[in-house]
Amino acid sequence: MALIELKDVSKLYGFGDATTLALDEVNLTIEKGEFVAVMGPSGCGKSTLMNVIGLLDKPSHGEYRFDGKSAARLKPNQTAKIRRDTIGFIFQFFNLLPRLTVLENVALPLAYKGITLTRREKMASQMLERVGIQDREYFLPSQLSGGQAQSAAIARALVNNPKLIIADEPTGNLDSGNSRLVMELLADIHKMGNTILFVTHNPELTRYATRVVYMHDGSIIHDEKTALGQVATTARKVMYSIPTITEEDALAGVSALMKALPDKIEPRKRKKSAVSKKSARKPVRRQKAKKQKARA
Amino acid sequence: MRSITRGHVKTGLDSVRGAKMRNFWTMLGVIIGVASVITVIAIGNGVKRQVSGQIHHIGSDVITVRPAQLQTGSGGLNSTLLTGLSISGSLSQRDVTTVAQTKGVAAVAPLAIVGGEAKGDNGTYKDGFVIGTTGDLSSLLNQSMAFGTFLSDADSGTDTAVLGQHAADMLFNEDVPLGHSFVFHGHEFIVRGIFNNFTTTPLSQQANFNNAMFIPYDVAESITNNSAPTYEILAKARSTDQTKQVTHDINSRLEKAHGGQNDLTVQEGSQNLAASNNILDLLTVMIAGVAAISLVVGGIGIMNVMLVSVAERMREIGIRKAVGATNRQILSQFMIEASLLSVVGGIIGVALAYVLNVLIRLATSLQPVITWQTVVLSTVVSLTVGVVFGSVPALKAARKHPIEALRSQ
Repeated sequence: MALIELKDVSKLYGFGDATTLALDEVNLTIEKGEFVAVMGPSGCGKSTLMNVIGLLDKPSHGEYRFDGKSAARLKPNQTAKIRRDTIGFIFQFFNLLPRLTVLENVALPLAYKGITLTRREKMASQMLERVGIQDREYFLPSQLSGGQAQSAAIARALVNNPKLIIADEPTGNLDSGNSRLVMELLADIHKMGNTILFVTHNPELTRYATRVVYMHDGSIIHDEKTALGQVATTARKVMYSIPTITEEDALAGVSALMKALPDKIEPRKRKKSAVSKKSARKPVRRQKAKKQKARA
Repeated sequence: MRSITRGHVKTGLDSVRGAKMRNFWTMLGVIIGVASVITVIAIGNGVKRQVSGQIHHIGSDVITVRPAQLQTGSGGLNSTLLTGLSISGSLSQRDVTTVAQTKGVAAVAPLAIVGGEAKGDNGTYKDGFVIGTTGDLSSLLNQSMAFGTFLSDADSGTDTAVLGQHAADMLFNEDVPLGHSFVFHGHEFIVRGIFNNFTTTPLSQQANFNNAMFIPYDVAESITNNSAPTYEILAKARSTDQTKQVTHDINSRLEKAHGGQNDLTVQEGSQNLAASNNILDLLTVMIAGVAAISLVVGGIGIMNVMLVSVAERMREIGIRKAVGATNRQILSQFMIEASLLSVVGGIIGVALAYVLNVLIRLATSLQPVITWQTVVLSTVVSLTVGVVFGSVPALKAARKHPIEALRSQ
């Protein structure tokens, strides 16, 4: 039995003329132990697909079976319990609770399960050790670097030992060094037998996946198996077939460069990107200032 | 299950601790509400106690017999108080004996008012009045002697007197005029005792005993040729729990003696207080009502801040739902938070009420009394306010769709 079975799943948002079709009759089956990368341009429905698979959202049409259970028949309480016990979420913006310490954040799913305070802190601490930030236990999320924050988020996703881990652009907000750290962590988890589903814009990251799914305008346009450690063949094609060049594409290009000269380029590249970001922002600010002056 | 609740209490505590300023403003409504409710009720109780304290010179277990008032009011309840003419008759020596002979009566003291002026070392004392009574009065009054002793049965027939504080001050130059004498109706009365000061308050219907000069009942009768009107007979049952029965017995005996006419009023001391207490109770209820409105306003304040808090923390709600919080767990988190705010607000309000109590005592002649019932009541009310007004935002949070919640900033 497959872990995830989507049959003609559609998802609509809005009403009347404003209706958007986020998912258009998607068919997808994912077996246990797969490491699936989902690629596609912004707004193609990747996140919606993740939300539906993660039981955060219900499909408008079609049938979705998670672990053999039909999602349509589950009540909100049941989906909450499935999310708690069998699904771990990792988000682009980490989504740690800012007022809780790292340890408390990681222990959160356990608290909702009703595990005693001492036990859940112990379990959370072990999980933090596994992701390598045990020395940050009593830090607040705001005191962590991006990579550390995402590691904490991964620890939180893993603490209940879920069957499925869903990562929606886990590296989208990280620099290349931290991206690699996070992806290595996910690869590690995959080796333990977990099923992982992640969204990325970076073709480079497909080398961690065993399967790559390409989406466009709410449909799956291509689905290929790929060997671990190898960039998926279609990934490049997709990359070049996108007419507009986004920031992600630029990053993808840089990381491709990084692959060619892995050790030497890394530190310099980071500086460069920082500088380029600054210079890109400045003119905008000036324009704003000018506008404000004009208004005055 | 226990650990879930404990976890939630902690979450609630954390979020209260985390946003101190916001929570202070939330609580302010409840603090002011609770403090004002307690203070208002305390002032009401205080005034009541001051008034009844004066009436309590005659203890609440004392039975009073008075002539019934002939009411010629313009109709309607209590209207004589304002417009009616009230005339009262007087009691006779026979009535005193009837009361004394009633079973279960331990002490009887008639109060006969004797007209005339007393002349002491300082000249004539005009404000005072002379009361003829018996030695039993000392056991019927809740007042101790400052100096000397009260009249006893052995004093009957002798020209001795016991003075109220003010009377003593006005008649004599001495601080302790024991053994001094004043002239009244041609008799020279020797002072053998002086009462402590009787507290006085407005609204009391009782004569001010500070101005009184007490002389033996039979002396009062003899110097007036038995014309001194006895305006009241005080009696006391052997034990407090008999008071009701004895009151009833006295009433029926007197009625029989008066040929079936019910022209006397026999009351327990506690009934005596009823008239002024009614007014005070009404006042207390009214002011407490005003204060209760401020509690409701405080509750709405809590609701508003909780609604803002829910809106501000949408993302947090989304995250909590994503990691597996059920609607009920979110609901209980916000409910606990709201109740916590209102209980803490209530406790601070109680503390503030005590501070206000001290300030009022210092600044005015009022003596507010805070009873534990008031404190419990207002704390319970503030908790209820928190739960009731916290439930709307909590439900809003719990029912939020996880995706919408996650997307909001």
